[in-house]
Amino acid sequence: MIKQAAERFFRWYCHPDFYEDIKGDLDELYLREEAQTYALGPELWFALEVIKLFRPSLIRPLTAINHSNHLDMFKNYLKIGLRNLAKYKSYSAIHILGLALGLASFLLINEYTGFEKSYDQFHEKPDQLYRLTTDNIVGGEITVRDAMSFAPSGKALMDELPEILSYTVTHKRGSMIVRKGNDLVDEKMVLAVDSNFLHLFNYPLLAGNVDEVLIAPYTMVLTASKAKKYFGDINPIGQKIEVLGRFNRPFEVVGIVEDVPDNTHYKFDILISLKSMQAQVERDNWNGYNYYTYFRLAPDADIAQLNEKLIPLSDKYIGEESTLVFNLQPIKDIHLHSDFTFEPEIHGSAKAVNFLSIISIFILLIAWVNYVNLSTARAVDRAQEVGLRKVVGAKKRQLIGQFLVESLLINFFGALAALGLAELLLPHFNFLVGKTVLTSAWTNVSFLQKLFVFFLLGTFLSGFYPALVLSSFQPIGVLKGTFSRSKHGTLLRKALVVVQFAASLILIANTIIVYRQVNYMTQKDMGINIDRVIGFQNPRFQRDEREQYSSKFNAFYEELNRLPEVVKVGGISSLPGGGSSDVSSSAGGVRIVDKTDRLEGTIYVVQIDEPLQEVLDITVLAGRNFRKDMASDSSAVVVNETFLKQFNVSDYETMINEKIQLGRNPDNDMYKIVGVFKDYNRTTLKNSVEPTIFYYDELQGNSVVRLTAGDPTEGIKAVEATWRQFFPDAPFAYSFVDSRFEKLYVEDKKFGLLFGNFSILAIIVASLGLLGLASFLAIQRTKEVGVRKVLGASTGNIIMLFFKDFIYLLGIAVVIGVPLVYLSMSGWLSNYAYRIDFPWWAMVVACLIIGLFAFVTVGLQTYRVAVLDPAKTIRHE
Amino acid sequence: MKKYSLGEFEEIVLLTVGVLYDEAYGVAIKDELEKRLKRKVSVGALQSALRRMEGKGYLNSRFGDTTNARGGKRKRYFAMTAHGKAALAYVKELRQNLWDDIPDIALDF
Repeated sequence: MIKQAAERFFRWYCHPDFYEDIKGDLDELYLREEAQTYALGPELWFALEVIKLFRPSLIRPLTAINHSNHLDMFKNYLKIGLRNLAKYKSYSAIHILGLALGLASFLLINEYTGFEKSYDQFHEKPDQLYRLTTDNIVGGEITVRDAMSFAPSGKALMDELPEILSYTVTHKRGSMIVRKGNDLVDEKMVLAVDSNFLHLFNYPLLAGNVDEVLIAPYTMVLTASKAKKYFGDINPIGQKIEVLGRFNRPFEVVGIVEDVPDNTHYKFDILISLKSMQAQVERDNWNGYNYYTYFRLAPDADIAQLNEKLIPLSDKYIGEESTLVFNLQPIKDIHLHSDFTFEPEIHGSAKAVNFLSIISIFILLIAWVNYVNLSTARAVDRAQEVGLRKVVGAKKRQLIGQFLVESLLINFFGALAALGLAELLLPHFNFLVGKTVLTSAWTNVSFLQKLFVFFLLGTFLSGFYPALVLSSFQPIGVLKGTFSRSKHGTLLRKALVVVQFAASLILIANTIIVYRQVNYMTQKDMGINIDRVIGFQNPRFQRDEREQYSSKFNAFYEELNRLPEVVKVGGISSLPGGGSSDVSSSAGGVRIVDKTDRLEGTIYVVQIDEPLQEVLDITVLAGRNFRKDMASDSSAVVVNETFLKQFNVSDYETMINEKIQLGRNPDNDMYKIVGVFKDYNRTTLKNSVEPTIFYYDELQGNSVVRLTAGDPTEGIKAVEATWRQFFPDAPFAYSFVDSRFEKLYVEDKKFGLLFGNFSILAIIVASLGLLGLASFLAIQRTKEVGVRKVLGASTGNIIMLFFKDFIYLLGIAVVIGVPLVYLSMSGWLSNYAYRIDFPWWAMVVACLIIGLFAFVTVGLQTYRVAVLDPAKTIRHE
Repeated sequence: MKKYSLGEFEEIVLLTVGVLYDEAYGVAIKDELEKRLKRKVSVGALQSALRRMEGKGYLNSRFGDTTNARGGKRKRYFAMTAHGKAALAYVKELRQNLWDDIPDIALDF
C-alpha cells in the first residue's frame, strides 16, 4: 500500500529521463536485507527514500519541456507591461490609485447594500413568513397603514384560513426596568411573545426546551449575551430576575437563545411570556391593536387571493362599521419597503440603498473610464512598438492579448491596493453607516470573491477598447513617421469626460441639497421653545395606586419648581421629539357637534397638565389653556390649528365652547373645546403637523422641565437629586428635548454623510483622470506651445487655450447634469412635509466646484508646459 | 573554484565513479561510497549529485542491457569524461598546492 503510493508519487514528480534507472536502483535496494529489516518496515523505508529523492535536480521541470511559443510571448507581454508601468510612474499611479479607490468604495458600498437587503432572509424559508398589519381604509383609500394588529386576530385567522400554518402574537414592551444586584437596568429590547414565537422564527435555543418555554406566566428567555451579563458563569436556568414597574415581581429564566443577528427588523434581548400580561391582552381584545402578529403560510399560498379573503374576515371580526382591514406583508419587505406607522424599529430605506448603489457604480465607472481615456490618449506612445511588432509578424489578435495583459496588470495592482484601502477605510465606513457591516475585508471570502470578479470584469471592460485601438495601427504609417497624433477615440474620450463631469456635478449638487435639508430640519422653528428643556419618563404605577402616586407627583413637581435651576415643570403623555408613531391616536373619525359632519381620518391624542403650555411656550390662539382649578376641564379639550383647519374653520374664536365627539357611536362622550393651540411639530419634519386634540390630566407619564439659563449640568444634578429623594427605585434617564429632535434625523444625516464622503471620492477619482489626461495632452502639444510663445502668446493665453477645450465639455455636462439633479432631488425632497425650496444656487455652486477642480488640474498641467523655454522645446524642429 | 565548480560530495562521487570504472551504476556507487565513507548515503543525495555532474559535463551515462532483475528496469552506467578528469585534477592540484604552502611549523604538533 505505502509502497504503491510512494511509487506513484515518485513517478509523478521524477524527471522522465531519470525515472527508469533510479526506479531500478530503488527496486534493487528494496530487496536487500538492509531494507527488509528496516525498523519501520520495508515499505516505509521505500517511502522515505522516495521522499529523500524529491530534489530540484531530479524533479520534472516545472514548465513543460517543449513549451509553446505562447508562453514565452506571454512572459514577454508581462515584462513589457511591467516596464511600461515602471517607465510612466505617474500615469501608472493615477491608474492604480483611481482603480483602487473605485473598487474599494464600490465593494464597501456593495457590502452595505447587501447587508441592508439581507434583512430577515436568514429565517427558515423566509418567503413563507408574513406579518399581519392593519390598514385604515376610508372612502376606498388607504389612509394609515399600521404595522400592528389585534391580539386575537392570529388565532381567529388561523382557524379560518387553511393557508396559515402557524402564527405568533407578540407585543413590544419597549422598556422594562429590572434589578441587577443593587443597580436598576432599563432593558430596552423586550418582547412579550407567545410560546409559538421560537417555533415560527427558529431562533436556536442554547438551553431550555423550545416546546416548554414561554408558556407559563412570569417566565423569560434571555439572549446569550444578556444571560452572561446578568449571571456570568452561573447557569441561568431557574434563576430569577426581578422586574419593577407594572409587573413588580420576579421572572424565572427558562431558556437561553442565541444572540439575534443584526439583520432582522424585530430584535430583542429578552423575551417574556405573553401570558405574563394576560390581563392587558384580554382588555385589548378586539379593541386595541397593539400587537405584532406573524404567520407562516403554506408554501403554495397565493398572497393576493389571501388578502382578498381577509376583507370579509375583517368585517366579521373587527366589525362592519370599522374602517380597519387586515393585511399581510412579507417580512422580507419590512426593513426596506415598509412605510407603516408603529414599526418596531427605525427601518432602512430602499431609496437610500438604491442611491448608494448608483453612487458606487458611478465611482467605479469613473475609474474605468479614466483608464480607457488615458490609455487611448497615450496610444501614440506605443504606436512604434505596435508597428514593429506587426512587421515582425504579430497578429492583431496577439496584440490585443498583449494590451489586455497590461490592463490585467494595472487592474491587478489596483485590486491589491483596493483591498488594502478597504481594510484601512473599514472602521470609518462602519462608523459612517452606523453598522458593523464587515469586520475585516481580507478575511471575508465573499468580499474577496467580489474583488476578484470585478478585477476580471474591469480588466476586460476597461482594457478591451484601448487594446482594440492600439492594435489597429497600420505599421506602414507608424514606421514612416507620418503618424503623429492619435485621432483615435477623440470623440469617445470627450464623451467620457462629459460623463465624468456630469456624474461629479450630480453628486456634489445632491450632497449640498441633502445637507441643506437636514440642516433646515434641525434648525426650523418647531412652534415650541425647546431650549434648555429636558424630558424624562415618570415611574410607572399600577392603576390602583393612582391616588397615592398623584399626591407624590404633586409633591415632586412642587419640589422641582422650588429649585433655583428650574423655571417650570410640566407633564405630557408623550415627549416631544419622539418617533412619528410615539403618540396615541383615534381612527374612528370626529365631528364638532351640531356644526360639522363626522370627518373620517386619524386624530392624534395628547394628554397634558396645566403648566405644560407654559413650559414648552405653546401659543394659545384662542380660548385658554387648561386650568387645574376648573373641575370641568376633565371633560374639556384643547385642539390645534390643523384640527380646525380640516373642518375649514378659519375663525377659531367661534369654536370655543363648542363640543367635539370622537368615534361613530352618537352616545360617545362629548368634550368642550376650551382653547386652540398654535401648531407645533412633535416629531420629524417628514410629517406635517397632525390634527391633534389635547386632554387634561394632572398625572402624566412624562415630565418636561425647563432649566434656567446657566450651566445645564447643575440643573440636571438638582433635578436628579430631587428624583432620588422621591423615587429611589426608578432610574433617572433624561434627555434634552432638542437633542431628541436631532436624533430623529440620524438616518438623514447618515445619508448626507455617506453621500458627501463618496461624492468626494468620486471627485478625487475623476480629477485623477482629468489630471492624467490634461498632462498628457499638454505634453503632446509642447512644440505647438513653443511656437505660440515665439509668436507672442503669454502663459495665460496658453492656459486658457487648453482650458477652453475642457470648458465646453463642462458646459455639456452641466446641460446633462442639472435636469438629472432636479429629477432625483425634487423626488427626494417631496418625502418631507417641511422642505427647502429646490436650491438652484446649489447647482451653481456645484458647477463652480467642478469648474474649479477642472481649472486647477488642467491649469497646473498646462502651466508646466507653458512656462518651458521655447528655445529648448522647438530646438529640434 | 571559478573554473570548475565541484562540491566535496560531488568530488567523492566522481572519484568513486572512476574507481568502479565499467561497473559504475547507482547501487554499485552507493555501496562503494558507503564502504569507503563508513556512513549511509541516501539514494536521493547520490542521484542528485550524479545528475548535477552529468549536467556540468563531468559525467556521461549509458543504459545497460535489459534484464529480468530490477523489475525489467535498465541500469544506467556512469563514466567520467575528460572534463570531469580535468576538474578532479584541478581540485587535487589546488589542494596539493595548499598543502605544500603550509609552513612545516604549522603542522608541527
